[in-house]
Amino acid sequence: MPNFKLDDREIPFEPGETIIRAAQKAGIDIPHYCWHAGLSVAANCRMCLVELMPPPGRPAMLLDVLAWDKIKQEYLPQKKPKLVPSCQQAAADGMVVKSQTSEHVDVARASVQELLLLNHPVDCPICDQAGECRLQDYWLEHQGTKKRMRDEPVHKPKAVVFGPTIVYDAERCIVCTRCVRVSDELAKDPVLSVRERGNLNEIVVAPGRQLDHPYTLMTEYVCPVGALTSIDFRFKARVWFLRSRRTVCVGCATGCNSFSDFDPRDQKVYRYRPRENLAVNKFWMCDDGMLDYRRIHEGRVLEARVAGRPATVAAALATAAQLLVAAGPASTAVVLSAEHSNEDNFALLSLAKSLGFSDIYQSGRPAGQGDDILRHPDKNPNSAGVAALGKASGLKSFVELVEAIRAGKASTVIALGSATPTGSGAAALAEVRSLIAIATHEGAVVDRASVVLPASSWAEADGTFVNAKGMSQESERAIHPHGSSQPAFRLISELAALLGKPLGWKKLTELRAAMAPAAPRSVAPDSASLGAE
Amino acid sequence: MIKQTTYLSHSYGKPNSWTLSAYESAGGYRGVRKALALTREGVIEEAKKAHVRGRGGAGFDCGTKWSFMPKESKKPHYLVVNADEGEPGTFKDRSIMEMNPHSLIEGCIIGCYGIGAHACYIYVRDELHLSKARLWGAIREAKAKGYLGNNPFGKDYPVELYVHSGAGAYICGEETALLNSLEGRRGEPRLKPPFPAQYGAFGCPSTVNNVETLAIMASAFDMGCDEFSKLSELHPFNDGGARLFGVSGHVNRPGIYEAAVGLTLRELIYDLGGGVLQGRSILGVIPGGSSCPVHLPDELPTLPPDPRYDAYRGKSILDIPLGVDTFRSAGSMLGTCCAMVLSDAVDPVLALHNVMRFYRHESCGQCTPCREGCGWIERILNKVVEGKATIDELDRVHEIASNITGNTICAFGDGAAQPALAFIKRYRKHFEDYIVNGGKSQTRRLTV
Repeated sequence: MPNFKLDDREIPFEPGETIIRAAQKAGIDIPHYCWHAGLSVAANCRMCLVELMPPPGRPAMLLDVLAWDKIKQEYLPQKKPKLVPSCQQAAADGMVVKSQTSEHVDVARASVQELLLLNHPVDCPICDQAGECRLQDYWLEHQGTKKRMRDEPVHKPKAVVFGPTIVYDAERCIVCTRCVRVSDELAKDPVLSVRERGNLNEIVVAPGRQLDHPYTLMTEYVCPVGALTSIDFRFKARVWFLRSRRTVCVGCATGCNSFSDFDPRDQKVYRYRPRENLAVNKFWMCDDGMLDYRRIHEGRVLEARVAGRPATVAAALATAAQLLVAAGPASTAVVLSAEHSNEDNFALLSLAKSLGFSDIYQSGRPAGQGDDILRHPDKNPNSAGVAALGKASGLKSFVELVEAIRAGKASTVIALGSATPTGSGAAALAEVRSLIAIATHEGAVVDRASVVLPASSWAEADGTFVNAKGMSQESERAIHPHGSSQPAFRLISELAALLGKPLGWKKLTELRAAMAPAAPRSVAPDSASLGAE
Repeated sequence: MIKQTTYLSHSYGKPNSWTLSAYESAGGYRGVRKALALTREGVIEEAKKAHVRGRGGAGFDCGTKWSFMPKESKKPHYLVVNADEGEPGTFKDRSIMEMNPHSLIEGCIIGCYGIGAHACYIYVRDELHLSKARLWGAIREAKAKGYLGNNPFGKDYPVELYVHSGAGAYICGEETALLNSLEGRRGEPRLKPPFPAQYGAFGCPSTVNNVETLAIMASAFDMGCDEFSKLSELHPFNDGGARLFGVSGHVNRPGIYEAAVGLTLRELIYDLGGGVLQGRSILGVIPGGSSCPVHLPDELPTLPPDPRYDAYRGKSILDIPLGVDTFRSAGSMLGTCCAMVLSDAVDPVLALHNVMRFYRHESCGQCTPCREGCGWIERILNKVVEGKATIDELDRVHEIASNITGNTICAFGDGAAQPALAFIKRYRKHFEDYIVNGGKSQTRRLTV
């Protein structure tokens, strides 16, 4: 692999790669605002300027500038090298690049930083970007001086509602055009553009339009400053109180890699952020996925129920055990759920096997809208995982379950999951004699259940999900289980113990070891670092 | 050395000079016939011999630029004429389009043939309504005569010309911003590479030439390009032929004068321009549009050791021939070669204030240093003029300008920073007076 020298380090690069990207891959962050690895190069912020050493024997291109000599009271002509933006400059073998070690680069970056803050309101206390704002970070790193322009800054529109999800503050905007490029290049909907010119520039939505494509939150996500804020997240949390876990979005079968940002004090998830994985979601997530975190806290089943009345989990488990014993294998249907992780489904499948139940069905959420960007029409995170686990057991579809119920062949049902793929399926569940639901959310299944066991959501448990491409991806637990809920695999394990058929594992690692032969792990490569952009 | 010529200006001021018949009776459309008799490569080789340096301000050799176009390509080629003349103090292209439009048409046909293009877009600055009307009129006449269309001058090489109106932005005179604007996009300069010769108008190989560059090519081909180049005193510097010199500001006879390259500023101001108004002396002179540095009349530039410069050593900037390389070497810039003269009756502080207001208004705002820097300099100058600035603030101006120059995508940043640096360096005392005296004790005039 060819190399170039950045300050005192040798950096390998793929032919055609830019200096900034190669450096980023090597773990060096050249300061930048407008550049984003997933977008085209704009080179407008000029923060990533570096000094390119001329080839040996060739003179550097020098520019005439001035310095002021305070003692002599006269201007001194000076020369400075022409700097290049590292986001635009392709790396070349043997190239010598100075970034942190060039005084000219220091001066240029300090100047860009000062100019970006020149007309900025510096309203950090009431800005949602505070704590993760490049203007703040780079001020400390590259400027560190007091504001020298003491006049009234340029005023521009504030709190402009761009659409259902985004609010724009033109005074905070540095016109890096990342949001414009996200709309053009990711969402393929060129709804944003720049209007006016010079320091009156601002971002506007196309006349007659709103910013309402399915990827609007990515405009906020790429905004390096507080110009674009998410209506959903603004004024809800201070980011420095949030902690992150590496999770997988459960909104559809794409399985976008995400960070779940939660506050450990109130055990609440406040937002998702995309996590870079070039094999799955690249740098992005869709709005549906980004806002799906809300389901962690909304419409949840947090307490057990027996016959529609609140009960302890122990009592509900005992009732469930009695119902299963009474029913016997011939009239019992076991329903796996594509909403749930491999671990949960494997536990239920193991229980079914140990009790000799052989009628295994699959449930999940109904199909929805997809596109050729990220959104998959299958709105379940683990259809492929369930299909693989259930293959040996002759996994049957939900339609077949409805037929079996109607034919009176399944009078007792033990079902994982909260949703059914169809409305008529939900109606059929009302006809069964006993329905044991292991569910995270209220809905059709829970409404009709004789026994409800409260399962933890994906954010409250570790889990493995297999996406539509067949990639098995682990999602980390972010928060403690809410209410009386427990991970479904734990509830099932306790149920098995009550029935005198312990499943043979206690810890998650033991469960995963037991599951390994049935669900070989092929974990997709992902970025290792928390907080990576 | 004054050697006045009339290749382009022969028709200026004459009745109906813009018509085809007037142009042809003055010897027009001969150059293009000679060019079309050559091969495409032959045209480029011949054009190189003319050493016509781009007249739009950058001074790049025209024939060499044409030679950058691909020999073969699957995409169509385009010739784009930069007629977005907006540089303050510059009004030469407009005179060609209004009074001698057929010279541009002829140059465009030669250019199209030379670069392998069949279509040419003339991007005219919005405000130049008469220019647009005259160009369309000339295109209609030329088409009717068969000079444009499928078989210009009987040659099986179709050429079509179109006039495209700009929307009134100075930045669209930057060639890649012009291409964006031509395509209907926001007029912002593009990143280079790729250069227009690879990826220009509509993503196709394109050449962008200034109006005067193309118009003078017609005369060069008529005369023979080598002979044409030798008209110039700066032929040894590969800066050939004749060009339009403009002079404006506080001179007795402002206007456009055509002469062989080699004219000096002193000749332009005193011999052609009739000297400074009211017989006063020169406070400063800007050689070629407001983006060039201002010079004091007695300034002695340091020239490179190259023996070609020996003849000019020890001479004032006013006595160095106006050429692309000579002025660059003298620490200045030739730009559009339209000089602006300030008489000593006026105030350089107001002059810079005026210039910086322009640049603040016209910065496209793409790059941080130019977007914010021009605004900051203008703001400081506003305060200087109002008598409210401090010396501390004055000390920022050179620093801001030094951080704009070289740090932007296009040359606009340099064009805005250079006048600030040049004015403040040469007239610092005037700026300090404004501050010390609360803006009171000055001439406070920009007009005489």
